[in-house]
Amino acid sequence: MEIIPAIDLKGGQCVRLEQGDMKRDTVFSSDPVSMAKKWASLGATRLHLVDLDGAFKGTPRNKDIIEDIIDAISIPVQVGGGIRDIETIDEYISMGADRVILGTIAQKSPQFVIKACDIYHGRIVVGIDAKEGKVAIKGWAEVTSKNAMELAAEYEDYGVAAIIYTDISRDGMMRGPNIETTRELALSVDIPIIASGGVSSIDDIKKLLPLVNDGVEGVITGKAIYSGALDLKEAVDLAANGRTG
Amino acid sequence: MIAVVDYGMGNLRSVQKGFEKAGCDALVSGEVKSIEKASKIVLPGVGAFRDCMRNLEERGLAEPVIRHIEKGKPFLGICLGLQLLFEESEEFGAHKGLGVIKGKVKRFPQREHLKVPHMGWNSVNKVKEAPLLANIKNESYFYFVHSYYILPEEDVAATTTDYGLEFVSSIWKDNIFACQFHPEKSQSDGLNILKAFGELN
Repeated sequence: MEIIPAIDLKGGQCVRLEQGDMKRDTVFSSDPVSMAKKWASLGATRLHLVDLDGAFKGTPRNKDIIEDIIDAISIPVQVGGGIRDIETIDEYISMGADRVILGTIAQKSPQFVIKACDIYHGRIVVGIDAKEGKVAIKGWAEVTSKNAMELAAEYEDYGVAAIIYTDISRDGMMRGPNIETTRELALSVDIPIIASGGVSSIDDIKKLLPLVNDGVEGVITGKAIYSGALDLKEAVDLAANGRTG
Repeated sequence: MIAVVDYGMGNLRSVQKGFEKAGCDALVSGEVKSIEKASKIVLPGVGAFRDCMRNLEERGLAEPVIRHIEKGKPFLGICLGLQLLFEESEEFGAHKGLGVIKGKVKRFPQREHLKVPHMGWNSVNKVKEAPLLANIKNESYFYFVHSYYILPEEDVAATTTDYGLEFVSSIWKDNIFACQFHPEKSQSDGLNILKAFGELN
């Protein structure tokens, strides 16, 4: 299983938000490039970059820093936040991003997801944010009656490479990931799931590791590694046994 | 000087930066002159075989690359830069490659639970002690992104990798080393390969 450090960018800084609230941010570093190098040097096999300004404005706002990060490290990088057109996907892929993550646009336009997957087969990842298994939208402001599993099946049909599943009641709260809903989701589709939200300790990683057999290929961790509650190197070493292609 | 051949296919900066991190200087160039002058060349490449081959030819770079190899100067191929060495690929119909190594490029068959493209970390089995792999332990992990694999008809395999079927993940023949995986995205083991290439005499 891949332990994937998250670098969330806001105003050129590396921040963490609590439950997706732009006003509840903590700045962890004013130098995201050094941060990326640090996580890579500790053995991370992939980074998860989110342009938070981009996500809120609907158009990328931290491209230069993302490019600097991609150049600075020798591991694959996935990028999300404000990606709403093919040109932006082109730009990130030619910058050297390994995968791009579609958020808002994926809910609004299945046609766009299908087109993106067609052009960039294997490189389009879509996020599903949910609370107790129900899909949340509008920057988590609204929880719908739609089941996360239904949406995952739709995305699988569109051809996405993987789904990032975020339990919004847990993200940035360090209450432990929602193991059961993550497992259920992973079992319901054939494409890999990347778990996100709530990892607080090495014990959470231990609980998640068996899910690699159910199709959970990675886990994104943010606050826990920044606060020191989780030792990234320890987590990476523990999970490396399950590393597969 | 190491020259990374720029023929308009994807991000070459990451390869150049990889060399930089490994402590070697490399220039990125699409000019025939600089490619001819270079003591070592790197042929990277992402995208479709057909487009890569066409771009190489349209820019007059296929010949200089072949001549460089024929002169016995060090050559490193990465991903499509490995595949292009072969005689032909079945990508979108049969397409001719540089034909430096005998063999073909084939698509992974569609199988359940094994997605195409093969994308992610996978380990390599060393079948030969290639100079560039001297510091690489057997079963080390490298980063792969590809839908096609090579089928050499010569004894050139340096490593193999299992992805439902066992395919040749790198080759070594005289002055040629080429790998299907991306050393520039493969942590310190990857940079080790770039460093070893930079230090070749």
